[in-house]
Amino acid sequence: MVTLGDYLVVSGLLFTIGFAGVMLRRNIIIIFMSLELMLNAANLSLVAFSRARLGPNGLPDYNAQVFVFFIITVAAAEVAVGLAIIVALYRARQTTHVEDISTLKF
Amino acid sequence: MSYLQLLRLASPETVVVVTTLVVLAIGLRNRQSPGLNILVAVLGLAGACAAVFMLPRSAVLFAGMLVISPLTSLFKVICLLLAFFTLLMARNLSSRNHAEYVGMILLATIGLMLLVGSEELLMIFIGLELLGLSLYVLAAFEKHDIRAVEAGLKYFLFGSTASAFTLFGISILYGMSGTTALAAIAQKLAGMPIEPLLAAGVVMTLIGFAFKIAAAPFHLWAPDAYQAAPVTSAAFIASGSKVASFVVLGKIVLIGLAPLHGSAGWHAMAGGWMPLLAVLAALSIVIGNFVALVQTNVRRLLAYSAVAHAGYTLLGLVAGGREGFSATLFYTTIYALTLLGAFGVVGAVRREMGNDDIRDFCGLSRRAPLLAGCMAIFMLSLAGLPPLAGFFGKFYLFSAALRAGGNHGLLWLVALALFGSLISLYYYLIVLKVIFVDAKQETAAVAAPQLDLLQRATLLALAGAIVLFGIMPQTLVSRILAALA
Repeated sequence: MVTLGDYLVVSGLLFTIGFAGVMLRRNIIIIFMSLELMLNAANLSLVAFSRARLGPNGLPDYNAQVFVFFIITVAAAEVAVGLAIIVALYRARQTTHVEDISTLKF
Repeated sequence: MSYLQLLRLASPETVVVVTTLVVLAIGLRNRQSPGLNILVAVLGLAGACAAVFMLPRSAVLFAGMLVISPLTSLFKVICLLLAFFTLLMARNLSSRNHAEYVGMILLATIGLMLLVGSEELLMIFIGLELLGLSLYVLAAFEKHDIRAVEAGLKYFLFGSTASAFTLFGISILYGMSGTTALAAIAQKLAGMPIEPLLAAGVVMTLIGFAFKIAAAPFHLWAPDAYQAAPVTSAAFIASGSKVASFVVLGKIVLIGLAPLHGSAGWHAMAGGWMPLLAVLAALSIVIGNFVALVQTNVRRLLAYSAVAHAGYTLLGLVAGGREGFSATLFYTTIYALTLLGAFGVVGAVRREMGNDDIRDFCGLSRRAPLLAGCMAIFMLSLAGLPPLAGFFGKFYLFSAALRAGGNHGLLWLVALALFGSLISLYYYLIVLKVIFVDAKQETAAVAAPQLDLLQRATLLALAGAIVLFGIMPQTLVSRILAALA
């Protein structure tokens, strides 16, 4: 039987992997993918909580599931804006590595 | 609730949305002058302001998704005003795509209004993202300027990571309480022991807001964004986004997480969000002020001083209660007006000199006495000298913090903040010294900054507001206090 705790562990793991990717990877596209992973970790935990909390009529709490749809939409918008910025940067610098992007310092 | 009723209660936001669409449509045909776009946008903002005044005194829709109260109305007007001043300064934008630029500012304004007018985590998240995504675009708008794009990318990466943290925190808060409305969360959390999962949820939610208000150690994006983004974008990022974030942060901790406050008193530390915010405040004050000392670029200096100011402003939230929250709101409003003005001056100098290092301000008092005078008012208000508004803002904050926390428990934080303001006086005065005293490298070839009447009036109005709120702080404070009652 898969319990709420199991879902939360997976969700926490996804979030940690995503955050580690953002911190450690050097390619902006990979960093970007890791960011999406973090958002999806939140989606998973929201849906898990929603399923675990059955209301008096035996139905799950749909508020959280609606929340997830909003997050998916927002994530898509974020991809659009992020990729636009990355393309602008690539045109100017011909690189997608964070080490090469260091005109601004301390 | 009929759809028409909903539209009526959300009329300020609706007016701004319609204005955005109109501006974008005009921009399709009109590529030459930004004047018309800005005129339409300003009219739209005025209309939204009028719509705010027509709203009923208080209403709550959909369990707090849209809240109308004196507080939200007041801060919607303030957000609209900040957008108004930003638009007036945006007239000299060089880019061809000025309609998109104006549209983005309007979209960000809608984000601000949603943030201010909501007490529900879903709407707060959507407001945050709408605001954030618009501001990332605004920061990277000059897409051929490598520095601006780099600043935009850094802002975007830090911002998205922070909002992912907030989102995960929200999901945990929802899981622990079973609801996303702030008031209901507070009811559910009352009497609940602080489990590790709940603590993780609170910390992660607050991280996202610490990023938005640029509190150390989540401030790393701020110096780059303030320095390299287009001046008007930087001004809006520094002012509007900060005001709305403080309003929402205050609502989340004082309404939603009220049962988990803990204590930040020196002898009575107890787990909760208060010690967390106190640590953020202390770090911000120390890091912001000390790093600002060595900056040579005015915008970067303002960015680090913004980190320090975020620290001072957090003091009010740590103090908690109506008095603390009102001190925070007053200070953040004053700060936003001051910073808009300072960025206006920086923008004018930048147009003339091509850069905004401190040495570019050399001899400004002879070239443009009006600009220099305004800059003096803004800098001295930031430093907190009486009789300017910044002084009273700090005074309210520090006295609220001293009185709260029982037995002067917050004295350590107040002492640190006073020490920080003392340091900050040094770097603000350096800027003023360069403006008023230094003249060594002045060249006759440099013409006085060209400012049209409107921009002159904008700067004067902002400087006037700072002086006015300094002499008569009651005009704004009493409004905020009444709204919080």
